[in-house]
Amino acid sequence: MKNLWTNTFSGYTRIKIVGNYAELFLNKCIHEKISIWQIRRVGNEVIVCYVALVDVKRLRPIVKATKVKVYFIERKGMPFLFKKMLSRIGFVGGLISFITILFLLSNMVWNVTIEGASPKVEHQLSKVIQELGIKKGKFLFLLPNVEEIQKLATSKIDAATWIGVTLNGTTYHFRVVEQTLPEKQPPVSDRHLVAKKKAIIHDIFVEQGQGKVAPNDFVNKGEVLISGFIGKEGDLQLAPAKGKVLGEIWYKSKVSVPLVNKFSTLTGEKKTQYSLTFFNVSIPIWGFGKPQFSEYEINDNQNRLRFLKWELPIQYNRTSFLEKETQIREYSKEEALRIASSMAKEELLKKLGENAVIKGEKVLHETVTNGKVKLMIHYQVIEDITVPQPIIQGD
Amino acid sequence: MRKLNKMVRKWMTNKMGLPADVMMDLPRITMIGQFHIYIENHRGVLRFTNQELRLLLEQGQLLIKGNNFVIKTILPEELLLEGLIEQVIYINENTPKKKQ
Repeated sequence: MKNLWTNTFSGYTRIKIVGNYAELFLNKCIHEKISIWQIRRVGNEVIVCYVALVDVKRLRPIVKATKVKVYFIERKGMPFLFKKMLSRIGFVGGLISFITILFLLSNMVWNVTIEGASPKVEHQLSKVIQELGIKKGKFLFLLPNVEEIQKLATSKIDAATWIGVTLNGTTYHFRVVEQTLPEKQPPVSDRHLVAKKKAIIHDIFVEQGQGKVAPNDFVNKGEVLISGFIGKEGDLQLAPAKGKVLGEIWYKSKVSVPLVNKFSTLTGEKKTQYSLTFFNVSIPIWGFGKPQFSEYEINDNQNRLRFLKWELPIQYNRTSFLEKETQIREYSKEEALRIASSMAKEELLKKLGENAVIKGEKVLHETVTNGKVKLMIHYQVIEDITVPQPIIQGD
Repeated sequence: MRKLNKMVRKWMTNKMGLPADVMMDLPRITMIGQFHIYIENHRGVLRFTNQELRLLLEQGQLLIKGNNFVIKTILPEELLLEGLIEQVIYINENTPKKKQ
């Protein structure tokens, strides 16, 4: 039995058979394997039925042989639908272009909103956004995805602690949380200044309060450097101590540097492939073949296409293969030592405050084991060692 | 010779439990309520109207009576009829028609 569904594709017609020998006509049709269906008698000498379009031509000899008359009443199926569409090309074209335009417009950026930023940061951010290519009228599937935009925007704008990017339909929302530096509070409460570490005093400068130490004194952690008590014995007054005490502190740091270093860098060569994914089937559009790099990094960018508010099961993918190169660097022992000491210094400076000065360094110990240079370095650092300690008075 | 052939076939159907419609070219008729009738192994349409369908069989004819008949599908040996079926009648003629 032929399926009606396939007939819809190939087309079929309803015919009217008029004549005395309609049954004979039917029998001959069957014999010739012409597919007819839905046969109905409507009058004394009239039968109507459907015939597949492909078999219509084969009807002619049977019609002649059986002396019946055949009239075509209806035309159904895709071939006739196409013909009808062709005769109304303007209407159909309009419909198709409407859907296409609607589809394109629902994949465009329509608005970019920035929230929570001060005018200056907003200006900066909108510049960065423009640089990234996020403008009204750009296609969403050509832009980097939201996480990447967020990462880029956050890294480019220092004044903002965090920038949250969300794509809401066709609108990009940027939520900015700005860094608010704490305002310097004038010391209002009475306090001492004490040592934060074991140190030897290098210099002392008292603004307010009473200096308790002199240069070359040794202090332990928590020892009072500048006292908040002022005035003479018996007539003590409380004041917030202010001043600077520079102390010499010793740091010991250990570093190890491997003699042979392996690291990979991107060479700048890249190959990009574009593809469309329907449901789970990926169809490449541009950029075929595997990249001919021996080592590479894959950078994937996937964008869902949308229609109005719905996400279609169609994805636009851009895959970049970035060529990687592994390099091996070997140090001689002297080089390794130099690098180790500079590394240690950098690390130490990062840990120290802004005003710290490294006064001297001394390598205590150096060994080369397992292809690594290990160093132990002693540093003399001069830095401000004061820490405020509020005076709590017992009643 | 033809008679012998028939006898052998009949014997095989009986003894070997083979379906009769396959062995002996008999029509196989399936009815679904009053509304559908499915006939296999027919030999052509003799008459078709709204109230009646007369089919040629290997032996004799099959007459189906009812109302609002529509032939849904028709193939060389199969036929699906739709409508309100009232009677299914076998017409046995003494002299079987020799028609191909």
